[in-house]
Formats: sequence, structure tokens, C-alpha cells
Amino acid sequence: MNGPAVETHELVREFKGGVRAVDGVSLVVDSGGIFGFLGPNGAGKSTMVRMLTTLLRPTSGTARVAGYDVAGDPNAVRRRIGVALQDAAIDPYMTGRELLRLQGVLHGLTRAGCRARADDLLGRVGLEDAADRRVGTYSGGMRRRLDLALSLVHEPVVLFLDEPTTGLDPTSRVTLWEEVRRLNDEHGTTIFLTTQYLEEADQLADRVAIIDDGRIVADGSPAALKADIGEPLLTVTAGEGSTPDDIAGVLSRFGAIVPGSVDGGAGVRLPGGSSAMADAVRALDDAGVRFQAIDLAEPSLDDVFLKCTGRHLEGAETAPA
Amino acid sequence: MTTASPAVRQTAALAWRSIVTTVRLPQAWFPALFFPLVLMAIFTASFGGAPGVVPGFPPVRGFLDFAVCGAIVQGVLIAGTSAGAAFATDIEGGFFDRLVASPTSRVAILTGRLGASMALGLFQAVLFIAIAWICGARVQGGVTGIIVVVVIAVLFAAAVGGLGVFLALRTGSGEAVQGMFPLFFALLFFSSAFFPIETMTGWYAAVARANPISYLVEAMRLEIIGGATIWTTLAGIGIALGLGVITIGASALALRRRLREAA
Repeated sequence: MNGPAVETHELVREFKGGVRAVDGVSLVVDSGGIFGFLGPNGAGKSTMVRMLTTLLRPTSGTARVAGYDVAGDPNAVRRRIGVALQDAAIDPYMTGRELLRLQGVLHGLTRAGCRARADDLLGRVGLEDAADRRVGTYSGGMRRRLDLALSLVHEPVVLFLDEPTTGLDPTSRVTLWEEVRRLNDEHGTTIFLTTQYLEEADQLADRVAIIDDGRIVADGSPAALKADIGEPLLTVTAGEGSTPDDIAGVLSRFGAIVPGSVDGGAGVRLPGGSSAMADAVRALDDAGVRFQAIDLAEPSLDDVFLKCTGRHLEGAETAPA
Repeated sequence: MTTASPAVRQTAALAWRSIVTTVRLPQAWFPALFFPLVLMAIFTASFGGAPGVVPGFPPVRGFLDFAVCGAIVQGVLIAGTSAGAAFATDIEGGFFDRLVASPTSRVAILTGRLGASMALGLFQAVLFIAIAWICGARVQGGVTGIIVVVVIAVLFAAAVGGLGVFLALRTGSGEAVQGMFPLFFALLFFSSAFFPIETMTGWYAAVARANPISYLVEAMRLEIIGGATIWTTLAGIGIALGLGVITIGASALALRRRLREAA
């Protein structure tokens, strides 16, 4: 596909009572990548996805998905997108295979096409063995994988995943991440993913936009966003016979000392990252300053969020590993 | 099959899904079969001596012959309520969103659900007539009579399904749709579905006489007990069709209204 996968201009969605869930979002998502849309609950992520997937009409502004206007030619958009919304709508009394075939018919596949596609997708998401069991017996992770398969029946060029791993245990989460990554690698499907987990955006996305209160507050690659926050922080605690001041004396050669960054030691903002850390450790050795613990803390997306909004991202502390 | 238009195939696939999910969920089909049959059995046991004794009771071989069409209509009404509740659950659960975000024909969203209601109505009518026949009832109208009964039942099933879908689209809540059920039930009791108008008195008889359901049941019943004319049959079919036009039209408007939110 040529051109951006998603392109919005001053997109607004106002609900009754004048609440602006999405408040002037302009965004360009290039084809072929994984885009992470990060924000706390109620920030406007789902409203944004509902507009981009033609489920909700924008109040104002424009949005083009896969090259088509969501309001002007919604059916052209619908033929090109895959959608896995939060709280997967899956009939517990039907089997995975039945649901995939039904989805195939809804997308206009032939009977033989539906059958072949269902088999192919069941294999891809590792549900062959459970294919003929009712979905009611599936685990949470299996349901999400089936939901992912359902959204891929018609080989969409853009896939929307709304909080795909919310409520999953860490193992299932990692499995799903791998699936999403593979889909992007092998099939070139552009993925538009919303999440409230920093770790997820960090792990999967090559580009992240942070939304808060209906507005984009930061936008860029995770690395660039974190770089904006500042350099990694190197902290060293003093060992036997040395003092925090000794440590600070050596470290100050490498960057700006951050006062109070660690008890019984000193911390420094290290422009060179991990390679500079080796130099710093060598310098401490050469100077005969003994030390105990060394830690290099990369800035996190939570630091980005904190800087942009003045608040921590909800659940940042409990973000999955 | 592959040459059928997408909307037709989508209707068939969605109807199939509605039927499968109904059949696999006993609480979805059990009430629609059990309660009408139990009521039919109780009434037959209680009023078995009424025909020929109670003044005003139409000439009939036995009470069961008289009761079977009321049971069919009641069963269709219960099934229609369940269908409406299931549709509302689709809205609540997100299946509806999945349909709207896909190129599925908007018409198929309705016709799929209504097609399932009609298929289940057909099944109920045939089953109830078969059970009544096994228990000794006979159809005076013969094969034609059975066809008329089944056709009216199927049309009425579409009408009731339309009402269920309308309520689902307007409320978006399965519980709300299920909550309407006593109202439908009252509508049935204030008609000649279970007893002849001739044995009713006062305002109750007047209400039953004004209730279109009375004529719908009557049209079916006369095919069983004898005495049907082209006019009673046309009245029954006309009422079923008329109700269908109203409820399905209303549900189409409600769907349109709900989709206006979408692109």
C-alpha cells in the first residue's frame, strides 16, 4: 500500500453534554509499522479506534484509513481493515472453526475460501487442536488469539487492536506479542495498537503516540521519546574506604551530577549510555575509588508520560514484565 | 452457492449462526417449547369437557384440537422474545460492532436474525401439530390446512422477531427486552388464543374482540377444527403480514438510527 496507513487531521469526537473524548488529533501513521497508541483509561483511545474503524462518525476533522476517508467511503475502509476490539465479541457456544468460517462469509469469501482460510489461520495462531471445541472452553489467551485470527480472515492491510492484552496473564501476553510481531514481519500488515501498558508499547511499537484527555501529548519512536527526557542515569554507591564525594568526583568527568539520586553514592546523567558506563567504571578503578553497586536506569515511557502530563500512567507500577 | 449475492449468503450465514446458538443454549429454546406444551396439556386436562357443554364453545372434536394453535402462537412469542434478547446481547457484547466494522450488508444484519426466527417458527408449528396429532387431535383442513397454519406461524414469527429486534436496537439491553415479555403475554391472554371469545364476558370479551391476535389464532384454529373460509384465512395471513410490516419496518428504522452514529 502506498501512502500512510492512517492519516487524521484535527479529528474531534464530541459526545452528548459536550464532552470531547477526542479533541483535535492530527496523526500520520506510515504503512508497514507497529504503531502504539498509549494512554490511561478514558484518555480517548477507544473513541479514536471506533472512529478509525468506521464505528463512530467524527464530529469534525477528517480521517483516512488505508487511503480512504472513513466518513466518505466507509465500505472501502471496512474491506481493508481488521478489527479486534476490547472484550472480544465471541460466541461461547460456537467453535473457533465455525466462527472463522462465518467471518469469511461476512467478508465475501467463497465457501472453499472460507474453509481454507480458517484452517490456515487456526494453524497460524496455534489453535488447531482447539478448533472444534466451543469457545466457551477457551482460556483468555486462546480467545484473544482467536479474535486476532478472526480479524485477519480477509487479509487486511491495517489491523486495529484495541487493548489486545488487557486482562491476560504474562505468558499469554508474550505469546500474543510474538504473534503480532510475526504478522507485521511476515505479512507487512500495519498494526495500530492501543494499550495502557508502557511495556507493551515499548516492546512492540516502532512508533508511539501518547494521548491524554483527547489530545496527543507526545509522538515519536520510543527511543526518541525517552531520549527527549534525558540521558540514562548512572548511579554508583560507595564501597569500603570511599565516600560519596569520591565517587562524585570521578563521575563528574562524564556528565552532570544529579544530587540525591542514590543513598551513599552519587549519580550522573550519562550522555554515552552503556558504553560510557564502562569508561566510568574504569575511571573509578584507575582512581582507586572502591564502589559497591552500579545501576544504569534508562528513562521509561512513564517518565515521558510524567513529563507531558505531570502524572504517572495508571498501572505503570504494575506494568507487566 | 458461490453465485449467490453476498447479502444472501450473509443472511444465510447469520441465520445459521442464530439457529446454532439457540439450539446449543437450552435456556434459549426450552421455554419456547416447554411452556406452551405444558399450558396446552393443562388446559386440555382442565377443559376437556367444555366443548359441547359450555354454551358458546365452537363445535370441536376435543379441546386439544382447539388448543394447539394457541400453543403455537405462544411458543412463537416466547421464541421471538429470546431472539430479541439475543440480538441485544450481540449489541452489548460487541458482535454487532464486528458486523458494522465489516463489509457485511446492513440488510443481512436484520434478515439473518429474522430468517432464524422464521425457521424456528416453522419448526415449532410442525412439532406442535405433530405432538397434538400423536395425542389424538386431527386436522379438518387436511394438508392445505396444515400449510395455512404453518405459513401464518412463520409470518407471525417474523413479525415477533421484528418486534424483538426493534426493542433490542432501541434499548441495547437483553434484560430490557426480556423484561417486555409479560406485556406480550398479557396481549396473548387478552385474545382468543386460549379460549373462545364466545365464552368471555363484558369488557374482557370486547378487548379480545379488538385484539388482532384473536383473528390470527382463529384463522389457524379453524383450519384444525374445521370451518375455515377464504376470508378467515386471508384475515389471518393479512394480520400476520401487517404486524410484520409494522415491526420489521420499525426495526429497520431503529437499525438506521443506530447506524447513524457510525460512518
